[in-house]
Amino acid sequence: MANTVLTKLHPLWRPPQLICLPSRTTTTKHFDPKFRTHRAKKYQKIELPDMNEDENKFSEQKMRQKMKERGILPPRPWMERPFYIGATGGIFEPYVPPEGDGKASLVSTSRAKQTVQLLEKKSKSMLAIRKVKSFDEDFDTKEFCQQAQNIYIKAHESLVNGFRYQPGFWELAVSAPVPQRARQAVGPGTSHLIVITVRFHSRQQLAVYDRFGRLLHGSEILAKDVLEYVVFEKHLSNLYGAWRVHDKIIPDWAPPKDPSRLTRVKPDPEPVKVEEEVGEAQKDEQPAIADK
Amino acid sequence: MNRLMGRLFATRYQCNVQNNLHTSGKDFAWTKNTLPQSFLHCNKKIYPPQEIGEEPRPAFVCHQKTNIKYSHEKLWYIACFVRGLTVDEAIKQLSFVNKKGASFVKETILEAQDLAVKEHNVEFKSNLWIAESFSGKGMHIKGIRRHARGRLGEVRYQYSHYFVRLEEGKPPEDYFKRNPLNAQQQLDKWLDQMRKRKIINSF
Repeated sequence: MANTVLTKLHPLWRPPQLICLPSRTTTTKHFDPKFRTHRAKKYQKIELPDMNEDENKFSEQKMRQKMKERGILPPRPWMERPFYIGATGGIFEPYVPPEGDGKASLVSTSRAKQTVQLLEKKSKSMLAIRKVKSFDEDFDTKEFCQQAQNIYIKAHESLVNGFRYQPGFWELAVSAPVPQRARQAVGPGTSHLIVITVRFHSRQQLAVYDRFGRLLHGSEILAKDVLEYVVFEKHLSNLYGAWRVHDKIIPDWAPPKDPSRLTRVKPDPEPVKVEEEVGEAQKDEQPAIADK
Repeated sequence: MNRLMGRLFATRYQCNVQNNLHTSGKDFAWTKNTLPQSFLHCNKKIYPPQEIGEEPRPAFVCHQKTNIKYSHEKLWYIACFVRGLTVDEAIKQLSFVNKKGASFVKETILEAQDLAVKEHNVEFKSNLWIAESFSGKGMHIKGIRRHARGRLGEVRYQYSHYFVRLEEGKPPEDYFKRNPLNAQQQLDKWLDQMRKRKIINSF
């Protein structure tokens, strides 16, 4: 009786509910959500920590709130010991290497200019040497050049052994008899910092490897001619001051560097921000306050 | 809490870390690290320089994602799924896996790919395959669930770790060793076995 056609034609008869339901894609949910809330109540509520949230991006207020929740005191002020810097950041009166290492023709304009300037600077250089001798009586330019070369070699060796991933290979194959001293300059004021630029002309070998032992740069069998202007610095008034490699002057006419062995993806250029003009029209659109 | 304390110090410490200039002891900011460390140590291994003409050693990068709010057992299925695939294929496949863990795995692989190019001298980012991929058990928190007649049930809120190692080059032909021999090879092997038989009490 209940299944007759008459009952189905009755206005109270409803089609099965399954047809009304939208199709489900998630299969992890119970088809009848009636007792969902009841089941949820059976669980004790626990606040689960989010282990991957970035505390560095917290606002100050949120950090304060979190610390209050957990009863943590703010950190102690960071105690750093003072330290002493006995070096300058830049170079005073940097030496400008003459074009073509002094072998370019005198006719070229920049070369002619440089020769004139060089004469001016030579007198200054003499003064500087006198200054060094006033602090260090045994100072000898020839001896200094030998000392500079030793420092230069040691610096390169420690640099190559201290590469981040792989100790590289560096060798000074042939050095020019004695590296020529190019120029001195004394720092301003009473600081008594002296800077000497030394010209090194040598043949060197350099090979740089990555972590997997693959060659990144240079070669272990090919030697290259290297011309360098290395700047040494010393704090004269410091009793324990020592000569240090300070910088390297790379002239404009130096040949370009070797390209990298690996190709890289060129990063996308940063999008240019277009500032939206806040036109006066917008201001005018604001409704005027009606007078009362 | 330890971790939060560490982070708090870290925020103050940051200005100095950026300049790499600090004169106080390192131990000042020390908190015990509970995260897995040993897998990432593989990234620090240094191989000896190669001879000229030797085949270049393939680069690899290990990466992990820690304390994912997901069961390590469920994560294992997804980890197995991507093994031995190229990176591009894995990412394509994972974006159609209708599971919560798939997004974590995909993220980790993308991060590892980025690391490989930026820090481990990998030239082409598509030239990588998934050499290792597995899940680990992270922090578990136990909760309580109420049952009838005053009884209790234990609920586990699980966290898991995901580890992945990408290697440079193309994936091996038959990563799972499912069918190591083709038809001809199988026949040859069978013939070989047959000929090696020894008939007892014969000449």
